[in-house]
Amino acid sequence: MKNQMDSKEKSVKASKKSFFQLNEKQLGYAFVLPSLLLVFIVTLWPVAQSFYNSMFDYRLNDPTRSQRMLGSNIDLENYVDNYFYLEGQLDNLENTVQSEEATKTVTDIDEGVENYHSQLLSNDTIKQKVAKVDELLMNYKPVTDNELKYNKLDNDFAEDYREALGTYQQQLAELSQATDDEVLSKSLIQTSELLGSMQKNILESNFVGFKNYVKYFKDQRMWKSLWNTTFFTAISIAFELVLGLGIALLINRAFKGRGLVRASVLIPWAIPTAVSAMMWGFLYDGQSGIVGYYLEMFNLIPGASWLLSTSNGAMFSVILADIWKTTPYMALLLLAGLQTIPNSLYEASNVDGANKFQQFLNITLPLLKSSMLVALLFRTLDAFRVFDLIYVLTGGGPANGTESISIYAYETLFSQQNFGAGSVLSVIVFLCVALISFIYVKLIGSDLFAGRTK
Amino acid sequence: MNKRAGFGFYTFLAVFVFLVMFPFIWVFLTSIKPPGEIFSSFRWFTGNPTLDSYDAALTNRPLLRYMWNSFVVSTLTTALSLTFASFASYAVTRLPIKGKGLILGIVLAASMFPQIAIISPMFNLITGLGLRNSYIGLVIPYITISLPLSIWILSTFFQKIPYELEESAKLDGASPFQTFRKIIFPLATPGVFTTGILVFIAAWNEYLFSLTINSSDKWRTVPVGISMYQSEFSIPWGDISAATVLVTIPIVIIVLLFQRRIVSGLTSGSVKE
Amino acid sequence: MLKFWKSAIGSLLILMFVFFLVACSSGDSSSEEGGGSEDATTEDTETSTETEEAGEEPVTIVYARGVDTTGATQLVIDAFEEQNPNIKVDFREMPSDTGQSHDQYVTMFSSQSSEVDVFDADVIWPAEFAQANYALELDRFIQKDGVDMSKYFPGTVAAANFNGKQWAMPKFTDAGILYYRTDIVDTPPKTWDELIEMASSLKGEAGTEFGYLMQAAQYEGLITNAIEFIASYGGQVIDEENNVVVNSPETIKAIEKMKEIVGSDFVPENILNFKETETENAWIQGKSVFARNWPYLQASSNDEERSSIVGNVDITTLPTGDAGSAAALGGWMAMINRYSEYPEEAWEFVKFMTGEEGQKIIAVDGGRAPTIKALYDDPEVQQSGPLFSNPEFVKVLESAVPRPVTPIYPVISDIMQIELSKALTGDQTPEEAAANMQTKIEEAISE
Repeated sequence: MKNQMDSKEKSVKASKKSFFQLNEKQLGYAFVLPSLLLVFIVTLWPVAQSFYNSMFDYRLNDPTRSQRMLGSNIDLENYVDNYFYLEGQLDNLENTVQSEEATKTVTDIDEGVENYHSQLLSNDTIKQKVAKVDELLMNYKPVTDNELKYNKLDNDFAEDYREALGTYQQQLAELSQATDDEVLSKSLIQTSELLGSMQKNILESNFVGFKNYVKYFKDQRMWKSLWNTTFFTAISIAFELVLGLGIALLINRAFKGRGLVRASVLIPWAIPTAVSAMMWGFLYDGQSGIVGYYLEMFNLIPGASWLLSTSNGAMFSVILADIWKTTPYMALLLLAGLQTIPNSLYEASNVDGANKFQQFLNITLPLLKSSMLVALLFRTLDAFRVFDLIYVLTGGGPANGTESISIYAYETLFSQQNFGAGSVLSVIVFLCVALISFIYVKLIGSDLFAGRTK
Repeated sequence: MNKRAGFGFYTFLAVFVFLVMFPFIWVFLTSIKPPGEIFSSFRWFTGNPTLDSYDAALTNRPLLRYMWNSFVVSTLTTALSLTFASFASYAVTRLPIKGKGLILGIVLAASMFPQIAIISPMFNLITGLGLRNSYIGLVIPYITISLPLSIWILSTFFQKIPYELEESAKLDGASPFQTFRKIIFPLATPGVFTTGILVFIAAWNEYLFSLTINSSDKWRTVPVGISMYQSEFSIPWGDISAATVLVTIPIVIIVLLFQRRIVSGLTSGSVKE
Repeated sequence: MLKFWKSAIGSLLILMFVFFLVACSSGDSSSEEGGGSEDATTEDTETSTETEEAGEEPVTIVYARGVDTTGATQLVIDAFEEQNPNIKVDFREMPSDTGQSHDQYVTMFSSQSSEVDVFDADVIWPAEFAQANYALELDRFIQKDGVDMSKYFPGTVAAANFNGKQWAMPKFTDAGILYYRTDIVDTPPKTWDELIEMASSLKGEAGTEFGYLMQAAQYEGLITNAIEFIASYGGQVIDEENNVVVNSPETIKAIEKMKEIVGSDFVPENILNFKETETENAWIQGKSVFARNWPYLQASSNDEERSSIVGNVDITTLPTGDAGSAAALGGWMAMINRYSEYPEEAWEFVKFMTGEEGQKIIAVDGGRAPTIKALYDDPEVQQSGPLFSNPEFVKVLESAVPRPVTPIYPVISDIMQIELSKALTGDQTPEEAAANMQTKIEEAISE
């Protein structure tokens, strides 16, 4: 990395003309830099963030956990709002409660809260923020700036304050039960609840370390979706490889109309997944779908409705649609690989009297190995992260029979807004895929990484 | 390899192409049926073919605008991605730099994370740059998504070009950059065009980022645009099939143009071992 | 060499520049054209901030909702702009799929984007969005303008109320109703058992293949169907005191009844894939005697171009269980983005759209059922569709049962979808489904 930076500085300092006189090494780093920069900013940074998120109990739809907090914090917007009402209500209660004992309790609470509040304000930053928030609230404006809305608190103070508010809440609840006056009882309960919601404005740290991971390792649904994903990936990739290789060999032959065949073979892949998934839904439909109709007619499946309404049928449907769609991709990659095999090798073996099949085994396959592995690698990465197709075609159903781990992650992240847990699932996908890639790269071996280092 | 193909071969080819194309053919047949017939029977051909669906597909939503947007975004993505990737691949395979495995590994890692998990940060980044509802706003994520594939494929191609050619160019006094541009790049044409087709179609097909980043109708791309034909409880199949047929035509043309280049290059050129 | 490099960089820069230009200029021109000029919003809003004080330039707010094929949305906007010349409304179309647009809003609002000011929310969103700090509370606006909330159907107001505050204004409502074929059925069934009996005996008449259609795929619609069964047998998911009470004999009985129907021979074999679209397709082709769906199906049933059963369809309340008939509450609300830069203007639009005038346009031109009861007496509304003049329909709407109002509704819905789907496919018994829902929902709430 450092080397790259150096070379970049150099290249910036150098005039434009001398850019072309960079030595090979410098040019090399300069060439790699733009790609690496893009990859870092656009994908690796978010990935790092996801790792970080996965360590928190981080939920957007829960105000007590909607921030990633390593220490205690206070939600000033709601605190100030609640405090405003609380002051009024407590003053009111002091005048309305009858028994002396009750008055004392209320007064104590009032003093207690005021005491903690002034302790809170003894911090200058908080004081300034409170004033600003107060002003916004008085004008009925929401606090949209998170810097203003939240402030760090001392953990012990936060703990004390929270505990005190809890005790007060309970005291008032007890008072409300003791009184016979219905109106008074109601307003006591109201204030008690207000204290409760104020307690929630003082936020605890939601750092949970690896607890989210532990939770998912015990989660059956996660294992089920991981299994679904693996099954989907293995079966569809196997078929795609065989079919793709066949197609590649076919369209590599010279014959009339080859261009047209190539273009038409690519059509399935050229239809956007979002559209082709919808299209397959239409073709598989148990009532009016043509594919279900023919498969049933030829007794290949138990019934047209088997396709999407049973777990096995739905998995079959998803895999078939994926094979249809991505075989061309595989075929194209393999075709490109075939092009790198020099014709002379075939000619030489023709002279030796080898037949087509021997040529395929002895020349084509070995020389196609690295192209094949690269094609497989990228197909596996994509298949393991499958999302659009299943989301549109089955939505993960029926009875979660086709839920892939990406779908599970998406549900958790966006439907349920649980960013901590959703990030864990994303990280799990990442780890699985990284493992698979590692195996492939080992298989590809030194083919790709060989070359000069000096 | 170059034997003349016989009748049997063409029959096989016809059946094969038909099977591959069947879903698409069915969509086409659906697109010329009147709306009442679409679900009511399994008949292949309608008695009264109509172009109403095409008319509706073009007038109900700005389909041509979507196609233009997709075309621009995909073209830019392909051009930029190929440029960056061929630089990087050349450096990794041919230039004496350190940490090649690491570089390829990092690049690969970028395509290991589920895309759905990158959407939120990406949305923030693009919003921060003020690039929402623009072409560049989509091109940036698309390039990044396509870079790993491009770099890896191009690397396998560059790897296979004989060193001797490069050496002789060097002896002739060519700079490394010249060697790259004049020797390596042209020789890898099939790889470059294959990658080009793959990147172009991948960008053309992308849905989630496009949906999130370009939320205004003027900037929508084809996949998102087509999904917008649906209303809350119903899917107008006639319109969608017509739109699907329409958007597939330009892709077929592009592939027809590009595929010639896939087979030239290495095998046809001077490079024979 | 140098030439190549120069020209490469040069052409790239020019290319980019051209596209930026195209981007900007088309933004400008489209705002002049008027129609569908979403892309110009950012620029417009910026200029309007500067000129707001002058009080001459109009403020532009952005209103987002799902694709509207009826055109009613544009009519509402036109009517509003005519009355409020200083406020322009930009219509931003969202995906028609409820789940997808929910996720789009989450992405937008969680990054505190102010690009959308007003948006339509499904009846199940307000609590969740309120809790997540995405929505602006409307009480002070309601108070200031003296909007009478009692004119709305109480169920729709309650669904938008969370923690004692009003977060959304009801815009139009939906409720599950029973459709039947008047050419086959004389008197519609009163109870679920009668429905089962009639569906299985009448199946096959007048070219029908099925007796009954419902929504049983694993998706949100399954919950609405289930809520109807559960409520009609007297069960509940979460009670008024926020206790989870789903594991009850009533619920089990309801799931059993649902399973009986789904497993019967008078529903399509692929009923577990049925959503609204499939139901509509089969229904308008005259394939079924009965169907459960939302009110929109009435219009498609009478669409000459697509439907083969025009004039042979009527509606009634869903059958009763042990505790009466229940229809699930659907429909949409209008909410204001908490981060909107123009809350006042946004409110003006929400008030107009969800008030009598806006709702009337949506009813007459969009065919959606108003949430204001008095509108059903309006002659124009009555004329616009046979349903709106049907007192039975109004009764159904008024008493529709909401789904649980809770900020973690998506989690609860997810749990219920899976457990119910498993019960319907036979992977578990109704008793297990009820027990599992009970423990899992309790867990989710306490988490």
